Amino acid sequence: MRRLDLIGTGLRVAVASGALALGAVLSSGTAMAQVMGGTAVFVQGSNPPSLDAMVTSSQASRNINMNVYETLYGFSDAIQPIPILAEGVEISADGLTYVFTLRQGVKFHNGKEMTARDVKASLERYRKVGATANLLAPVREIEITGDHEVTFHMVTATPTFLEAFASPRAPAVIIPEEDAEAEAGKTSLIGTGPYRIVEYVPDSHVTIEKFADYSQDTRQEGPDGFGGRKTAYLDTVTFRIIPEPGAQVAALEAGEVHILEQIPVPAARRLESNPDIVLEENMPWAFSVFIMNLNVPPTDNVKFREAVQVALNMEEIMAIASEGIFQLNHGWQYPGTTYDAGDIGAQYYNLADADRAKALLAEAGYGGEEFVILTDSNIPQHNKAAVVIAEQLKAVGINATINMVDWPTALNLRLQDTGWNGWTLQMGIEPYLGPVGVVATLTSPARPHFVVPDAALDALYQELISGPTVADRQEAMRKIQTRLYEIFGIVKLGDSGLMTARRANVKGYVPFRFPRVHDIWLEN
Amino acid sequence: MTRFLITRILSAVPVLLVVSLVTFLLIWLVPGDISAELGGTDATPEELEAIRRRLGLDRPLWERALAWYGDLFRGDLGYSYLLQRPVLDAVLERLPVTLSLAGLALVLATVMGLMLGILAAVRHNTLADQGAMVTALIGLSIPDFWFGIVLIILFGVWLGWLPTGGFVALTDDPLGWARSMTLPAMTLALTQMGVIARMTRSSMLDVLGQDYVRTARAKGMPRGTVVFRHALRNAMVPIVTVVGVLTGILLSGAVVIETVFSLPGVGRLIVGAIQRRDFPIIQGGLLVTACVFVFVNIIVDMLYGWFDPRVRDGR
Repeated sequence: MRRLDLIGTGLRVAVASGALALGAVLSSGTAMAQVMGGTAVFVQGSNPPSLDAMVTSSQASRNINMNVYETLYGFSDAIQPIPILAEGVEISADGLTYVFTLRQGVKFHNGKEMTARDVKASLERYRKVGATANLLAPVREIEITGDHEVTFHMVTATPTFLEAFASPRAPAVIIPEEDAEAEAGKTSLIGTGPYRIVEYVPDSHVTIEKFADYSQDTRQEGPDGFGGRKTAYLDTVTFRIIPEPGAQVAALEAGEVHILEQIPVPAARRLESNPDIVLEENMPWAFSVFIMNLNVPPTDNVKFREAVQVALNMEEIMAIASEGIFQLNHGWQYPGTTYDAGDIGAQYYNLADADRAKALLAEAGYGGEEFVILTDSNIPQHNKAAVVIAEQLKAVGINATINMVDWPTALNLRLQDTGWNGWTLQMGIEPYLGPVGVVATLTSPARPHFVVPDAALDALYQELISGPTVADRQEAMRKIQTRLYEIFGIVKLGDSGLMTARRANVKGYVPFRFPRVHDIWLEN
Repeated sequence: MTRFLITRILSAVPVLLVVSLVTFLLIWLVPGDISAELGGTDATPEELEAIRRRLGLDRPLWERALAWYGDLFRGDLGYSYLLQRPVLDAVLERLPVTLSLAGLALVLATVMGLMLGILAAVRHNTLADQGAMVTALIGLSIPDFWFGIVLIILFGVWLGWLPTGGFVALTDDPLGWARSMTLPAMTLALTQMGVIARMTRSSMLDVLGQDYVRTARAKGMPRGTVVFRHALRNAMVPIVTVVGVLTGILLSGAVVIETVFSLPGVGRLIVGAIQRRDFPIIQGGLLVTACVFVFVNIIVDMLYGWFDPRVRDGR
């Protein structure tokens, strides 16, 4: 534990120094001349399952696609919906009509100008093949009301619609009308973004090239989240797929590649003093959670689940699982964000209270039944967390065992109503999407992660999505967090981050939910 | 020879059928399917079921097997769920990477293994013998993924002579191809070199002690001619057998090397398909790999005939 703290402290100092240095450079600001041209290589570990942005919610695809495609609305840096391809939206007083005006003069990569026909055709395709097609469920009809105007007629007023519509998870991107009938994965890969796809060799690389006719959004000074003013400085960017972390680091050291999506912490420690490498935390990146199955004993007993909650030492679990890149957080939103519910539930978090856990186990009538923790071998954070959790639970007298399988098998098993008691999971994009993204996975009509729906939580979810104002939704979120710490169906372990690395000559790069390769340039 | 060849090819057909059947059954036994990958962690059981129906994964095993074999006999290996393209295209696109890696590694391993083995046999019980066998043992003992990383650090990072990974097609840039394949081929060859060296030494020692070798030496024949023309050729039959077996090992070992060196080969294609349960790619990829293996073994059988006429003539 002490060693891990030291590692974490050392890295934080290094990262803070790097960040300060970067800040100093950036604050001297405009003195740093941007350089046009050149080729940068970004490295990720996984192959993109598809470059058809609508059909996949994979991070590996999003990394590339969000530089190529754009949506009508997207999230800003402050995670608020902002217009990207839309000029704006006018929402009727009853919330049943959304009139989107489109930016004019926006070109697709094939040279054609974007019109309302493309927008309607794209969104109708999204209804059919979109990985999160239900985000358009509140829309009854999409009507073309002008060359550069579409009107959504809603089924019912849905105050959270625009937030859901702006989601980058499986984004509702705008593509040419000609691609609208294409089956999933069979479009011509044409978008409106600052870069266009020129080559894809699966398991090797994807190359994107600067789109000369890109229509910059001039309403802002610079990039803002998924939108804003995007400037393509680099001529081409290659996304190389290198699955082996050691090989990724070697390629960075050799100067063959420029940016690593994630670097293993031990390698980061070794490179701390290397002046050619800049390390930076991308924090927070994901929720680490431990889900329990409310359908089977002993986890069908709320006192047992409370015992698990108070027994766990979250600091220890997070330090090991995330290799020291974490922040403790009991909340079900990131600290300081709009829907952060504050201290609610903090009294149950990171207690490591063995006496209280044992008393609760006695109260629950626990008789030593097996507690099966389901985890997978593919994602190290999952299996490392499972190992620490199991040891901590054994220490308070719980008969914990681990069932480690590969990821598809784990996904299959957790859909079974029985056969498992706990499941370790990283929630990556969901917390970023706001409260609806997280709570939807725990409530009906979807199958809640903890298997058995909780009627009170379901009602609160409805309150959340129908709350007409932000204040109403914040209040709903506070009630939801209270309820989650009453039923203990899911344990929040903490927030984890990614350690990113890049060559020092890469300028302008700011870690984000995807690598914004526009607005970066290469010095020298 | 033609009859021999036809017999070997015909005998390969049931082998391939059995391979395809076993692959099919093994896939069926593995829990989970691609619906989880396509649906994501928050997909409902209904959504997953809809994906299964769309992909035909809800059909009974026998029905899927019939469809698979029906397509197979028409030369169609199916359609990848994930890559959204015909399996045969995807596999054939990757095959040159894997074949060039395995082929280069085989050449390297054979040349180095033969040299070490001959040296050890000719200089039997000397320091050279011991040195050669220690080298072979080191080759056998070092894990290839570790050796690969060491080579990357040495030649890619410290010396900067060779790329740390990636693949350049031979048709695009022959020099780039050679540079991109050098480290992977050396890594893959290392273990196999040890096996060949030990087998060569043992086989050569056996032959060098035979009467006809002694006679050749007594006749005053040059040492090189005795070793390479008379001894080595007769020692080759067991060595060729080992090389044939090693080809299979090289093809499977290529999976690890392709991962370490980021090569887009068949191995990575199949492993990725297994991890995501892209069944058509697993079935098609393994069948093509089995075909390659069978083909190599036919060549090995033909080489037996070349080295030993008794095999060719059926004696």
